[in-house]
Amino acid sequence: MGITRRDLLKLAGAGALGAIAFNGCRIPDKELRVESPVALPEDTVTGRENWYATLCQQCGAGCGIVVRVIEGRAKKIEGNPDHPLNAGKTCARGQAGVQALYHPDRLHTPLLYGQPVDWETAMGQLVSQIQQNRGRIFLATNPLRGHIAAVAQAFIQAAGGTLMAYEPLEDTVLRTAVKRLFGQDTLPDYDIAHARTVLSFGAGWLETWGSPVRWGKAYGAFRQGRSVVRGTFFHAEPRFSLTSANADLWLPVRPGREGVLALAVAYVLIEQGMASPSATAQLTGGRGLSALSAYQPEQVAETVGISAQRIREVAEAFGSQRPSLALVGGSALAHTNGLFTALAVLSLNALVDNIGREGGVRFNPPPPLDLSGVPPAPLARWRKALEDMGAGRVGLLIIRGANLVYGLPIDPKEFEDLLNGVPFRVFIGSIPEDMAPFGDLVLPELEPLESWGTDWPEPGPGFQTLTFQQAVVRPFRDGKSFGDILLEAGRSAGLNLPWQSMREAVQDGARRLFALGRGSVRAGDEASFLTGVLQRGGWWDTQAQGQGRVTLERAPATPPAPQFAGEEGEFPFHLVPFTPLGIHDGRGAHLPWLQAIPDGTTTVAWQTWVEIHPERAKELGIAEGDWVEVTSPRGSIRALAYLHPAIPPEVVAVPFGFGHAGMGRWANGRGANVFRILAPLTDSETGAFAWSATRVRIRRLGPRQRIPKFEGTVLPVQLEERPIILITREA
Amino acid sequence: MPTAHPLHTHPDTPPRGGAQPQKAAGATPSAGRGTFPQQTRPRHKWGMVVDLDRCTGCQACVVACQAENNIPLNTESIYLQRRVIEWIRIERYWEPNHEQVRARYIPLMCQQCDNAPCEPVCPVYATYHNDQGLNVQVYNRCVGTRYCANNCPYHARFFNFWQPVWPETLDNQLNPDVTVRWRGIMEKCTFCIQRLRRAQREALREGRTLQDGEVVPACAQACPTDALVFGDLLDPNSRVSQLAKNKRAYKVIEDLGTGPNVIYLKKVDPYAPTADHSH
Amino acid sequence: MRLGKRAWIAILVGGGLGSTLLGLAFLVLVVPRVVAHYSWSVERLFRQAPQQPIAFTHATHAGDAQIPCLFCHRGADTEAAATIPSLEQCMFCHRFIVGTTEAKQAEIRKVIDAFNNQEPVQWVRVFRLPDHVRFVHEAHIRAGFTCSDCHGAVETMTTMRQVQRSLKMGDCVGCHRQNNAPTDCAICHY
Repeated sequence: MGITRRDLLKLAGAGALGAIAFNGCRIPDKELRVESPVALPEDTVTGRENWYATLCQQCGAGCGIVVRVIEGRAKKIEGNPDHPLNAGKTCARGQAGVQALYHPDRLHTPLLYGQPVDWETAMGQLVSQIQQNRGRIFLATNPLRGHIAAVAQAFIQAAGGTLMAYEPLEDTVLRTAVKRLFGQDTLPDYDIAHARTVLSFGAGWLETWGSPVRWGKAYGAFRQGRSVVRGTFFHAEPRFSLTSANADLWLPVRPGREGVLALAVAYVLIEQGMASPSATAQLTGGRGLSALSAYQPEQVAETVGISAQRIREVAEAFGSQRPSLALVGGSALAHTNGLFTALAVLSLNALVDNIGREGGVRFNPPPPLDLSGVPPAPLARWRKALEDMGAGRVGLLIIRGANLVYGLPIDPKEFEDLLNGVPFRVFIGSIPEDMAPFGDLVLPELEPLESWGTDWPEPGPGFQTLTFQQAVVRPFRDGKSFGDILLEAGRSAGLNLPWQSMREAVQDGARRLFALGRGSVRAGDEASFLTGVLQRGGWWDTQAQGQGRVTLERAPATPPAPQFAGEEGEFPFHLVPFTPLGIHDGRGAHLPWLQAIPDGTTTVAWQTWVEIHPERAKELGIAEGDWVEVTSPRGSIRALAYLHPAIPPEVVAVPFGFGHAGMGRWANGRGANVFRILAPLTDSETGAFAWSATRVRIRRLGPRQRIPKFEGTVLPVQLEERPIILITREA
Repeated sequence: MPTAHPLHTHPDTPPRGGAQPQKAAGATPSAGRGTFPQQTRPRHKWGMVVDLDRCTGCQACVVACQAENNIPLNTESIYLQRRVIEWIRIERYWEPNHEQVRARYIPLMCQQCDNAPCEPVCPVYATYHNDQGLNVQVYNRCVGTRYCANNCPYHARFFNFWQPVWPETLDNQLNPDVTVRWRGIMEKCTFCIQRLRRAQREALREGRTLQDGEVVPACAQACPTDALVFGDLLDPNSRVSQLAKNKRAYKVIEDLGTGPNVIYLKKVDPYAPTADHSH
Repeated sequence: MRLGKRAWIAILVGGGLGSTLLGLAFLVLVVPRVVAHYSWSVERLFRQAPQQPIAFTHATHAGDAQIPCLFCHRGADTEAAATIPSLEQCMFCHRFIVGTTEAKQAEIRKVIDAFNNQEPVQWVRVFRLPDHVRFVHEAHIRAGFTCSDCHGAVETMTTMRQVQRSLKMGDCVGCHRQNNAPTDCAICHY
């Protein structure tokens, strides 16, 4: 008798585990069920995949995506290859959109004073509140664009009140600078792919800042997309970020001194005769180099923390290897002198004459169809708004996507007191965020993949673009989209609103685009035009490009010094908070895929950590994984120590995004919220939040823990002995 | 072009040549047998090129892979146990002996080696090389000895120490084209074989061969900087074959004789201390 | 105490017999049960033709009425799954056909009611493959096989049951070998 290996295994297993095997071998009942659905729409055929184009809303960039839908369930997100912004690519956050859709802690029923109610009751309540509070309604949202912005604007115009957008890390400073220098209402695009030299200040454009997928794609081409030229990249940032790591030279500038560094570069450009004469005249007020004498590299080297020789080297490369491009954003603008820095860096672009040129700064045209956006309001305005609420000047507060209690540098107790001045508060959201407990009425919102809308990306690709968002799956939870809630409740309250539903708004948008008779989608009639824009994921007109002028402002004779909260003696470290790759400013904290992304430089995940230089840590008796207390003049948080070999000794860095109260099982109570210890300083001119201007001290709290990091997960024993990353000097 | 190793040819591989299968319209079952035309399988040697000068370490590939391949959630406790499963992972190396400290990134996945060290050590033949140049892991054969993982110099294989759990509704996202693995078996990068199989079926149905660039694994599709390129190394005109000729091309720890099918292009650093430098 | 030679023989023979008997008992009583259970409860279960929520007969539809398989199982020549028809499809005909006998009318009533009430029908699966197998109907139909090659003479069955094939891996591989189809594991397992 021939006994096979398989039989032997069976017998061996059976002898020992007979009883277990007898039960364990039964097929689970659910695997024996097979269903006849009632109807047969094409997209629910078993095993057939359908791809639908829509809009990604995991961050504010506004990429076009296609979603793989099988049997009515969204399975996978890919970039929309047709879309001009991201050309088929996605980032880690974009991929996680499907996880948000099926999050187990999504809200699934309206709540009135904490009790579940049906939609009819909930909407009735909202309608009567709108009717009672005409003129005293406050709508707090995330930054809005496209038709959802139009709906919110129309709602507030009809109902009377205030519409304000909130983002913890606002871009007010950059917007102000772009408006003042270039007369632009929208942010410009940067043609990184065709530049030869990129010099960026604080902007994590390879991580979370601006349009990271678009610029990531451009980065690939910038490095290796051209046969002869390899672009050179310099990055100035006090923290060694993933973007710093990818720079050819990282310039560890002192916090708040980025503007001085930029003008030192400008000084060298003018001195070496590499600067455009007209731009030089504007920047120096016609006085030439002498107007910038305070920025001579040799003189400022110590202030900025970078040697004069290095500044000259970078400036000469920037001036000679053109096209060259200067970017600014992130922590560089989060200082009390943020606007000075923004104006200084953007002026560099005019000095190398790259405005509107290939490899330079490209202005974006106004969005099509007279749509306008609701950009984030600066911290100073939010403070004023909260005072109004505390003083009882707001009758109805509607909160959607504005996580105020999490990000505002205000004591939570004080915040609660101020908000208690509002008699009725409505929270709209799909996940019970930190603000949900403040909602007297909580309305479950649909996820972006279940909703309709449009969006014009900002920064756009340099020409008019309108991305179309369609519901790619039926609602998984009983909810309504934000726009539909406003339209439905507003109309029932007797407001004069332009559309019945978001879907109708989108159809109307398509109708009006069709009437323009230009752009990427051509069709014989309105219906097929609508199908066309939905199939391609949007409409764009490469001919409708941005226009702009350049008027530089005179550089101040002496640089405005940044102010910091906390005396150097008591608080020896600069605190540079940053947005980690996955959970960003906290908006992705509820998704386990994003929590589990190893950080770009430290590879830590799931916990708040503090990056500290090994030598400073040694002085303080801190080892990796120790619990430490990070204390600012405003308060303290607890974090795990990570000894970071590349962080400057006077700087410590802590990620944003942790320490939520709420937001589902993966975010609630996890880690510490660094916003809690940030001093409420603002940029002196714009009133924007200066979130990088706090000083801290560090104290060891407790013994070493194992730190949740990817580094070391895979034992590099063999790999350490042999080089696995080969490096060459030659491009 | 590397020469074929005797192990490349699977004993069951049919000879090359012959006609494409034709749909036998109206044939009875018995007529279908025997007269069924010789099945041919186009030969491929799937490979990937990773340009380290494009890679920024942004982790898009890592999450894309997790979304596509039903990879269990890497919770904090999994991290603390050092049992994180990432079929493609970004290794970050500090390079301290430099004027300024550097971080170097390299995406590592299964290298689909021609002479894969994982294959001969498997006592149950759960891992083997197929005629498409893929190192295949057969989940239903695997008994979890973990010999393969110990023998893999790239640490590209991951063991399911726990039964993977997708809380409540999260399982709606699972890809129906990929087996959900269970506790006690080994898993690793498959070059998104489910996408390959889907595309191959489609090509067969339309009576044509696969075009270069038609099949893109999830990681390469997501990669914003186009650092990952996938294709057939047997096709001299494919993008991977062209890129593999680049003077920056090398293979990771090739001197072990593993014959990897993932080709890396050296990172360029004009400020490197020596002209040719390694880490 | 000293044991005599006889005692030794008795113990050895007795012990030997005992263990032999035990071994035999194991072989006769336990092993067949285990083997039978393994190969396969599925098969035994399905040979019995499971009870379905509606007494649908393939004999009437595929036999008497000669409706082609693909009319209802529309995915078979284009998709991985052959697909179970939707109730909407049933209603193509059962809008007009209500049955000739009382028993038939009662069963057809169930379909119409389910459709009117928008309630999906939960059938019991007859042909099942484990999770780690990716079977593709389309490829097999394209290769010239007919439905009955694997599913048997469905047109003669009043209640559906699994005949003809065991659907074990040996069965699949045997057929692949016979027909020069690839037997690479990764054809079905991934």
